[in-house]
Amino acid sequence: MSAAPRPPLVGTPVPRKEDPDILRGQARYTFDIELPDMLHVAVYRSPAAHARIRGVDLSKALALPGVVTGLTGAQVRRLGYVNPLSPFPFQSRDPFRRGNPTIKFFDHYCLAWDKVRFVGEPVAAVVATDRYIAEDALDLIEVELDPLPPVVDSAAALEPGSERLYEDWDDNVMLTFRVSGGDVDAAFKEADVIVRETIHSGRFTGTPIETRAVVADYDASVKTLSLWSTTQIGHAIGTLVENTIALPGLKVHVNFRRIGGGYGQKWAFYPEEILVPLLSILTNRPMKWVETRREHMTGTIHAREQTHHIEAAVRRDGTILGVKDRIVANIGAAYPTGGLASIVTTGMFVPGAYRIANYEGQVQGVVTNKTPYGAHRGFGKSEACFVIERMVDRIAANLDLDPVELRRRNFVPPDAFPYRSVTGPRYDSGRYEEALDKALGLLDVDHWRAAQREAAAEGRYLGIGTCLVIEPSSSTRMGSYNAGYYSVRMRMDPNGKVYVFPGGSDEGQGHATSISQLVGDELQVSFDDVMVVEGDSLACPYGSGSYSSRFSVVGTTAVTLAARALREKATQIASVMLRHPPGGLVFAGGQVSVEGRPAEAVSLSEIARVAYFYPFQLPEGMDPGLETLYHFRDPNIEFEADERGRVAMFSSFPYDAEAAVVEVEADTGLLKILKFVSVHDCGNMLNPLIVRGQHVGALAHGFGGALYEELPYSKEGQPMAATFKDYFLPTAMEMPEMVLEHIETPNPFTPGGFKGAGETGTVGPPAVLANAVEDALKPLGIAVRRLPLTPQYLWSLIQEAQGGR
Amino acid sequence: MSDKAKIRITINGVVHEREAPPRMLLVDYIRDVVGLKGTRYGCDTSNCGSCTIVMDGRSAKSCTFLAVQADGREVTTIEGLAEGSALNPLQAAFQEAHALQCGFCTSGMVMSAHALLAHNPAPSVEEIREGIIGNLCRCTGYVPVIEAVQAAARRLDPKGGTP
Ligand code: FES
Ligand code: FES
Repeated sequence: MSAAPRPPLVGTPVPRKEDPDILRGQARYTFDIELPDMLHVAVYRSPAAHARIRGVDLSKALALPGVVTGLTGAQVRRLGYVNPLSPFPFQSRDPFRRGNPTIKFFDHYCLAWDKVRFVGEPVAAVVATDRYIAEDALDLIEVELDPLPPVVDSAAALEPGSERLYEDWDDNVMLTFRVSGGDVDAAFKEADVIVRETIHSGRFTGTPIETRAVVADYDASVKTLSLWSTTQIGHAIGTLVENTIALPGLKVHVNFRRIGGGYGQKWAFYPEEILVPLLSILTNRPMKWVETRREHMTGTIHAREQTHHIEAAVRRDGTILGVKDRIVANIGAAYPTGGLASIVTTGMFVPGAYRIANYEGQVQGVVTNKTPYGAHRGFGKSEACFVIERMVDRIAANLDLDPVELRRRNFVPPDAFPYRSVTGPRYDSGRYEEALDKALGLLDVDHWRAAQREAAAEGRYLGIGTCLVIEPSSSTRMGSYNAGYYSVRMRMDPNGKVYVFPGGSDEGQGHATSISQLVGDELQVSFDDVMVVEGDSLACPYGSGSYSSRFSVVGTTAVTLAARALREKATQIASVMLRHPPGGLVFAGGQVSVEGRPAEAVSLSEIARVAYFYPFQLPEGMDPGLETLYHFRDPNIEFEADERGRVAMFSSFPYDAEAAVVEVEADTGLLKILKFVSVHDCGNMLNPLIVRGQHVGALAHGFGGALYEELPYSKEGQPMAATFKDYFLPTAMEMPEMVLEHIETPNPFTPGGFKGAGETGTVGPPAVLANAVEDALKPLGIAVRRLPLTPQYLWSLIQEAQGGR
Repeated sequence: MSDKAKIRITINGVVHEREAPPRMLLVDYIRDVVGLKGTRYGCDTSNCGSCTIVMDGRSAKSCTFLAVQADGREVTTIEGLAEGSALNPLQAAFQEAHALQCGFCTSGMVMSAHALLAHNPAPSVEEIREGIIGNLCRCTGYVPVIEAVQAAARRLDPKGGTP
């Protein structure tokens, strides 16, 4: 047997080990769980945006054959052991301990009891022997509502006399945050030109194809609640359930093994995660609730809706001296979601990829009678990048400069990394100009500029857009569940197989494959001998969940270092077994051998058997077993904000240079993407196949948000996109031809050099396409100030510019 | 709704004759009565395609049929494709091209592709896009799915295949 290390698995496009089960139809998701005597839950949701609840009468519903029980908000409050939903992710009213941000909370229960505050808010539940009957029973529930004036628009919500959503608050502002650096006033005094814009980013969301589902099974004999939930934060949900259902001695076991896509929407604490367990506790029977798509579109978080009042102080040569931005986010009702964290993040990252020394961001999270606002792939950074990338092009237009030139002039240069941004984060590494140049080369700008001139001569509108977006990943916030560490337990069993228990969860990212590559290399075991158990709150170490692309940054590091700890211990045991000092041993090919004497070898399973079964043979003072618990603390973050709100709360900074050519049809407003280029840098690539998949998938979300996806509301607060018939996801037909390239600038803060890979793609398309559209419509003098770039919107801009016709 | 209908459907070559309420959707019959959970659902407006099966040789969204409408018909679900424990060429191509991530849409996506290739062994990229237009995927951005179907077409019919 050769003792030479085999070629590494890390860095190669290994197909995923997760796939065969899925492809055979054997994979089981939350809604597939079947338990004996299980009952089915249906939820009655508010049809009104804002109203006082006068009464909820379940009697007719309960009389329907097959209906077992029901529950109202008033009944929940009378139970005596149910608390309001605890806040998430911030557990503190003052998370940075600086009085900034300031946050108001509200005591929402799992069912509304006093008022309803958005269409889709849960009001009552019915339980029946099957789902059809439960849904029939919904029609028999009688709810009496006294309508209140709906608050829909964030500007209206801020007006002094506005109706308040929460009567004990003095206004509709849930969060206020300020962050600043440098001397903004001086920068504005020094400027040659000040460019002011109001830019709006539209409300849209992630819509995983798997809707949410909760299964709860309370076993009174052992006071144990087994909970299956479609969540990205299973451990936190366990804690939040314990906070909320205050039954002494209650044990909670959360299972979140296979989730059908998350994208941030499953990064929140949802009322059904209390409601369904409560119903199981009350009936002592297993309960299942599966969200319908219609419920999902109003009862599951939305994202992105922000208005930026932004000003830039610039020199005539295009140098950006300073930026001020007042950000108003329309965050819907005040639910326990990641929405607040996401808008704070926007305030932090408006400076984007640019060396802007003077900056002031003010963020307001304004509550309205819309669906609560939360995380979505790109989390606050997408909005920030859209605004700054638009702004760069607006500045260029004002100064009559080439936007590419303006970008070059202001980029953080490669030799400035690690770069401390004006708002505190430490950007790990990057080569922005090189990436943009590469994108422009792949686009073939000269060719398209010529094509643009020809088109113009024919009265057609062709445009070229560029952008360079950053997607800070692996976030941390003090006083919240995302606390900047990652834990993993790892065991080499007596057969030499390696079991890995990470503290995160997988929504399709392929963690089992990536972990098997990392562990396979570190411990020289085969890919198939690495067993990953993830998404079990009692088997796995506590963890803050899966979000912010943190697996590829802190998760992989924890896995690697845990494997090294096991390797170290195995080597020491081998040293005793082989009677040879550890320094002269070779760890390869599933065994440890003496260097130069391959016949003197012990296999990993022989070593493991000594560790488990012959502890008396172990070196002096060594614990038995071959198992470790490793906690990795992110070195590139900080927990304390300073007095100006600056804090390093993200640790790795992947980015994407994009360039696109579009044609806009003046008669219809239709936009066609003629060419699209992305040059992505997410550091070293653990598995290029998975990285590409993540990036293309993220780009699809970006195209959706840029072009199609929108969650509009009527004046009355009625959602106007509540199904896939009126909320348009890109299909296979809408994906443009893409040229995709990578450059690899390693992350210097982690052993693998990886950065987040799955979110950057969502950030660029809104910016690059808006920039391209504006370039196309330059002859008409049109400015693009909102998303999505629907034909209706572009057509109305063109009409306006042409004087109505 | 206590009255039940006797419904006989051949699924993956096996005859299933079960009682079910006349209003039951085919997708629920397959999942909950027969117990084949590989067919999934993700919407209530026949838009997502997660529930796609093959019925009498054509792809069909099993949420748009009542189980009684499938009485006497032949259905293939995702569980009916693999040959023993080995993936069939289309499934293998999905794995190799990384055409699935969370996997929730995958059963439907594979069944649509399977039906497409049965009728058109050498589809063009445009025909593949049209063939899966009724299947929403939020993870992959479709590009790897299109590549997988191309690769499978080449493997199944080396003379055909797409450019
Ligand atoms: S479940 Fe969405 S189309 Fe059938
Ligand atoms: S693989 Fe997740 S929706 Fe398609």
